[in-house]
Amino acid sequence: MAQRAVWLVSHEPGTPLGGTVRFSRRYPTVEKRARIFNGASYVPIPEDGPFLKAVLFELRLLDDDKDFMESRDSCSHINKTSIYGLTVGGEELWPVVAFLKNSMIYACVPLVEQTLSPHPPLINISGISQGFELLFGIQDFLYSGQKSDSELNAKLNQLPDLLLQACPFGTMLDANFQNSLDNINFASVTHPQKQPAWRAGTYKGKPQVSISITEKVKSMQYDKQDIADTWQVVGTVTCKVPVPPILGFYQVKEEEVQLKIAINLKLHESVKNNFEFCEAHIPFYNRGPITHLEYKISFGQLEVFREKSLLIWVIGQKFPKSMEINLSGTITFGTKNQEKQPFDQICIGGTAYLKLHFKILDYTLTGCYADQHSVQVFASGKPKISTHRKLISSDYYIWNSKAPAPVTYGSLLL
Amino acid sequence: MGPLSREAWAQRLSAFRASPSTSMAGPEGEDLGRDLLSDLRSEKLSEQTKVGLQVSPALARVFTPARTELHLRNFLLNSPSQVSLLALSLEYPAQLWPDAATAEAAATSLLDTLVLLPPRPSALRRPLLLAATTALAVGGALGPTSEASCRLLPLLLGLAMGRDLGRGFGPTSEQRPLQATACECLRELESCKPGLLGGSLGLLRSLLGQEGPVQPLSLLLALALRNTLVLQSRAGAGLQGLLMTKVFPTGSGPWDWTLTEDDTHLQPQIPSWPAAERECGAAALEPSLEEAKELRAAVAQLLDTSYLLTPVAQAQLLWLLGWALRGLRGQPPALFKPQLVRLLGTAQLTLLHAVLALKAAFGEALFTAQDEALLLRRLTLAAQHPSLSPPTHLFYLHCLLSFPENCPLGPEGEEAAPLLLGPRLCHGLLPSLLHDPMALLARLHLLCLLCAEDEEEEKGQIQTPQRYLQELLAGLQQRAALDGGPRALATLCFQASYLVARYLGGQPLVLTPLIHGLAKLYRARPVLAPHFVDLLDQVGPELGEPLRVMLWQEVVSRRGTDEALCWHLQLLAKVVDGDSQSATLSFLQDAAAYCTDWVLQQALLRVCRALLRVSGGGGLADLLQALARQLEDPDGRDHARLYYILLAHLAGPKLGVALGPSLAAPALASSLVAENQGFAAALMVQEAPAPIRLSLGPSRAEGPLPVLQLQVEVLQPIYSLELRFQVEGQLYAPLEAIHVPCLCPGRPAQPLLLPLQPRCPAPAQLDVRALYTTPTGLTCHSHLPPLSVNFADLFLPFPQPPEGSRQSFFEDLWDSCLPKGAESRVWCPLGPQGVKPFVSRHLEPFVVVAQPPTRYCIAIRLPPDSRLLLQLDSAQADGVPVALRTDDWAVLPLAGDYLRGLSAAV
Repeated sequence: MAQRAVWLVSHEPGTPLGGTVRFSRRYPTVEKRARIFNGASYVPIPEDGPFLKAVLFELRLLDDDKDFMESRDSCSHINKTSIYGLTVGGEELWPVVAFLKNSMIYACVPLVEQTLSPHPPLINISGISQGFELLFGIQDFLYSGQKSDSELNAKLNQLPDLLLQACPFGTMLDANFQNSLDNINFASVTHPQKQPAWRAGTYKGKPQVSISITEKVKSMQYDKQDIADTWQVVGTVTCKVPVPPILGFYQVKEEEVQLKIAINLKLHESVKNNFEFCEAHIPFYNRGPITHLEYKISFGQLEVFREKSLLIWVIGQKFPKSMEINLSGTITFGTKNQEKQPFDQICIGGTAYLKLHFKILDYTLTGCYADQHSVQVFASGKPKISTHRKLISSDYYIWNSKAPAPVTYGSLLL
Repeated sequence: MGPLSREAWAQRLSAFRASPSTSMAGPEGEDLGRDLLSDLRSEKLSEQTKVGLQVSPALARVFTPARTELHLRNFLLNSPSQVSLLALSLEYPAQLWPDAATAEAAATSLLDTLVLLPPRPSALRRPLLLAATTALAVGGALGPTSEASCRLLPLLLGLAMGRDLGRGFGPTSEQRPLQATACECLRELESCKPGLLGGSLGLLRSLLGQEGPVQPLSLLLALALRNTLVLQSRAGAGLQGLLMTKVFPTGSGPWDWTLTEDDTHLQPQIPSWPAAERECGAAALEPSLEEAKELRAAVAQLLDTSYLLTPVAQAQLLWLLGWALRGLRGQPPALFKPQLVRLLGTAQLTLLHAVLALKAAFGEALFTAQDEALLLRRLTLAAQHPSLSPPTHLFYLHCLLSFPENCPLGPEGEEAAPLLLGPRLCHGLLPSLLHDPMALLARLHLLCLLCAEDEEEEKGQIQTPQRYLQELLAGLQQRAALDGGPRALATLCFQASYLVARYLGGQPLVLTPLIHGLAKLYRARPVLAPHFVDLLDQVGPELGEPLRVMLWQEVVSRRGTDEALCWHLQLLAKVVDGDSQSATLSFLQDAAAYCTDWVLQQALLRVCRALLRVSGGGGLADLLQALARQLEDPDGRDHARLYYILLAHLAGPKLGVALGPSLAAPALASSLVAENQGFAAALMVQEAPAPIRLSLGPSRAEGPLPVLQLQVEVLQPIYSLELRFQVEGQLYAPLEAIHVPCLCPGRPAQPLLLPLQPRCPAPAQLDVRALYTTPTGLTCHSHLPPLSVNFADLFLPFPQPPEGSRQSFFEDLWDSCLPKGAESRVWCPLGPQGVKPFVSRHLEPFVVVAQPPTRYCIAIRLPPDSRLLLQLDSAQADGVPVALRTDDWAVLPLAGDYLRGLSAAV
């Protein structure tokens, strides 16, 4: 359950090395155990330079994908998890937990307390989930409230000390780095009573319990006879619902140099017509900039992003009384410029979608809610109880019904 | 040397971090560890530190100690100070103090520094404890003979117990963090030296029951308990009341090391589960009733307060306790049951993972079928929950396919969809083109497993998952066909094809559309040829063979003038085979005219080479001849010629081996270089012991020149045998080599004829070498034992004169020998049969006049132009006087020897 080493590598495309090691920490006592446990299959932790090269290559983050390279592009070289084997000095360093987020690669090497050949199943290695939590913890710490590069640098400078608190010997004590920071800052406070390790400092404010239910609704709408529309609601409570909140269709016809589009959206009568926001994003991929647009709109405003070849239909807080709104228009595009206009692998030819973004507060599709009077807290003091509900769209697509669209499994089963 | 300035240290540390190995190899490398320790204690560096803290004593009066600490920390963080020196010693002790002696010295020095710290808040105490612990554990110094160990262990235990260690140990504000740190240090030492705290189990238990910090103590106790149980069960001993002893182990005497284990035998904490089963089954500990009760109490105590721990620490505790209880007989895992109610609903990755570990460890004994179904449902949802990160999704998906079922059906260790995971539950887990590559592949794997099960249920009919799979693959192919799209898209398409071929190789309903789709993809984007070659290399024949044929058709149906010619040739070299050679050849003939540069010519030649391997034939020979004339590049021409020569001279099997791929050399761009080591080995002559035996048969004594008859026997089949002879001393003219196409052991061979051209009539030794091909296609060279050509082997008869003139013919010869020649007489003893059989046996072909039983006239021609004449007259019972004459005096002694040899044989 311990980690042998941890790294943060910034991915810098276009630079000679392709990245920089921003932080690394090795755990020699764990390394010593690894040498004994792994026996003949032991591969030592590399220095930062070779690690950087190997991890960028394995995550396909080096720029040179011009030529086929067997060690990277072979069809049998399949990674189905974020756990990799890195080739370092002709040997395979495994398992390396690594992922890229916000141009930063988070990586660590969990200790495996047995031989590595053959690789034991990942599910049997406790250090894998511990490694993930460590990396997520670092990620949360670096990006919580962080706005600028200088703030990021300041946080990176704090990391060695934080890890000395949260993970002094490679075995993690707390994945919440904010707690460790509090631990340092409130080191003087003595704790007479038994207290959870995840709450190191004593909180001076009013005790309160907040229960919030967030549902995310996904939808795929095709407006086709042979393909069923799908929707899925996930949240703190997961269940199926009878309808998606907004039903619609999207039709795109290509006529010589221009596209004709028609959109219809209808809010289901059972859904609360009070949005925090509601927008339909209508992107046009693999085309040039929008040079000319004529449109008719029954409700809301249309924002045009010419260079990005994007339309945003701002619907606002409410649907009109009819619950139904329309947009139709004709769009002409200029010459495609690979660098400026977005490329998409799916929206080829007539394949196109619009994506809905909305949020409704104090509402859940499932009707699920928490009753603040029924919440019991077993602790001294009387905390204030508050409850929240909200519905958020997540991957809410309406596909052009006049062209092929990627079908999800559910659409076929039904 | 005085202490380094802060800047100098900063420089030195950053140089070291950039590359420890280079830095250690440098001039100052060896001294780094020593300098570091001495500067940690140096007054000067602490003065520098004090400079940054000038305000802090004043602040200390105004602010709380915590604020002072914060200032101190911030200062230390931003300057390369003692803390960064300590940080280095925490990460690189193995480099700084590589052996036990230096590690011991380093730990001693660190402990001295710790003791000498002034009794005010300091950021150094914690890292000093960690550093001393690390140095001892890593350097292998930890043990009863190490003084530093004997100082550190009681110190740590004392701190962990919250004992007052006196003013030297800093203000009370630091006691609590130090207590936790001491626990962590002890836990690390116990990890590296299992059993170290075996004697302190009771003490740790009682501490946990009082006001000690819960998390550090829980984890320490759990680890010590687990290690003790493992060690004691291996030693066949019980717990020996260790859980109840509450004595400070160093109260009066030295630390108890008897329970520790040699650290070279660290036991896997979490080996693969089935292995653990066997291992523990063999050495299961059966505690006494009393011990079992205490053990249960200790475990229950740990579990009851476990909710106070951070999630990651709870997970560690569960892994440890699960492992500890596994090896115990009669310890029902029901102790975990109350925790499960809480844990089955966890949203924490580490905790869910730990629950799965418990599931694997205890199965039905702890988890009901409903629990199992609930876990599966939770995993299924967690693997797609939008609020979790993609790496988490993928890990859960992996857990799902490796799910430890109560009643597993499939083979152990293979990924499979759990029985309870039906298609309905999997709904949201199936791949779509919108997923990123890793998610798509992971989900595709699941889909393949579902399709495989589906097929078992209803053979023949096309099922929905299969249909969905087809659509998905078509979508992937369409994306890969995008002109100018990133290579990753193509790679993904081929990875998906590989997965499908691997799991659904037996389903033609899936494979057929896949193959057609791939062929279409090639038509759209021949630039993907390397991917196709790779796919054909990796997949089994179910997909590979039909795909190969399809792609071959795809290529040869093109005109060779296509701008993607280079890719066509690359693919053709992979997919070509012996059938329908004419289509391939006509494609190549067309293509040849467009192969204007070296790269294309090499690609073309590589196809020829592939054709050479699988077949041959006149068409190919014609093409190669044409190429040898027509190609612009001399390298290409040479190559075509070489292939032509190989084709013309080597038999099929040998060609195959000669041109076969070599395992040793990587594939390179040039076909010339690609004639790699395997090729070279196949064409190079290997020295080998001879599997051939040669012997001389009877001489023939006819014709114008002497001819040796060689009998040959072989021990193994050999082909293309060439025997080369060399005459010692140039007594004969150089001999022609003998060629034999094929020889097999046990099959009688015709004698081989070796004509000799003597330069003088003398016996000689022939040096013999054999060159041949083995059945494996290697060409070998062997040195055979020399062959002796005897004097008699050179004998030839004179042409027989007409019947009436024989006497005079002989007399003319006899007279012509003198005066330049020589004459001699010898007595030749005869056997009991007399002279007649003697003559007929040895000299029959050379007899000119025979008047048995008394007189024989014998004339022998000795090439190049000598003669030997013998007259056997008035033979007696025991011998015959032989008069001999020769025109070459040098022959006389040889003839004498010959006759004496004949007599001796009698």
